[in-house]
Amino acid sequence: MFTRFSDIDRLFGTMDLLRQRLDNLYTDYGRPYGTRWLMDEGFLRANLYQTGDGFEMRLEVPGMEKESLGIKIQGNYLEISGSRDQKLPDGYKVHKTERGNGTFSRSFTLPDDVDGNRVEATLKNGVLYLTLPKSEAAKPRQITIN
Amino acid sequence: MDKKTEIAKRDDQNIEKTRELYEVAPAVDIYENEDEILLYADMPGVAKDELSVNIDNGRLSLSGVRKLETSGAASWEEFGNVEFVRNFSVPQTIDVEKVEAELKNGVLTLHMPKSEEAKPRQIEIKTA
Repeated sequence: MFTRFSDIDRLFGTMDLLRQRLDNLYTDYGRPYGTRWLMDEGFLRANLYQTGDGFEMRLEVPGMEKESLGIKIQGNYLEISGSRDQKLPDGYKVHKTERGNGTFSRSFTLPDDVDGNRVEATLKNGVLYLTLPKSEAAKPRQITIN
Repeated sequence: MDKKTEIAKRDDQNIEKTRELYEVAPAVDIYENEDEILLYADMPGVAKDELSVNIDNGRLSLSGVRKLETSGAASWEEFGNVEFVRNFSVPQTIDVEKVEAELKNGVLTLHMPKSEEAKPRQIEIKTA
């Protein structure tokens, strides 16, 4: 018996929670339980943000050194490649290997041309941060009327 | 106790925790040799102070919160802020005092040494 309104509220809260869990199961966003890292398919997750004068990009690259990453830019074409090769330690028994090694390469067509000389890339906690300023030609220009 | 106070009491005990972050399981590799159990976990974007490793009563829990620095409007987003959570059962023979954790390039390395008593021992046979 529901003696209080809060009981009904709580019931719906539980249903919401269940629905959320189910939603989580079937989307790749945020890597739910049971899926493996996409490195195995040679594909890494990336985010792209547009700021006024350029783009910001974030890539998940856990366990990769900066030496093993390559970034190529030409106009609005961006290519990021890398590899992860972590050796199995000697003399250890294997219980679980979910992480995987291998190479990946991903290319993007950005909405605008990028000034390749001013691109900055930093690696922090296994995430690659890219700052990609738009090239001068791609920037909007104010035209004065004579 | 009448029913009303009972319900009120139940309400007090039922502390609800709201979660804003998705909970996801990090991918792990687990290895073992005679001296230790070695665990690697991929947690890209987790800073050292957002990571917690707990071993208690044969239960190892890992938790790391990822807070990405973002700016601008997202054109596309394939990953977001999440909480990496995973729990394991570990043998009681782990020497909790000597566990070493290291976070590098978004990968957590956890060395869990076995206590001396748990290591296999070669018994010498004496000849009479």
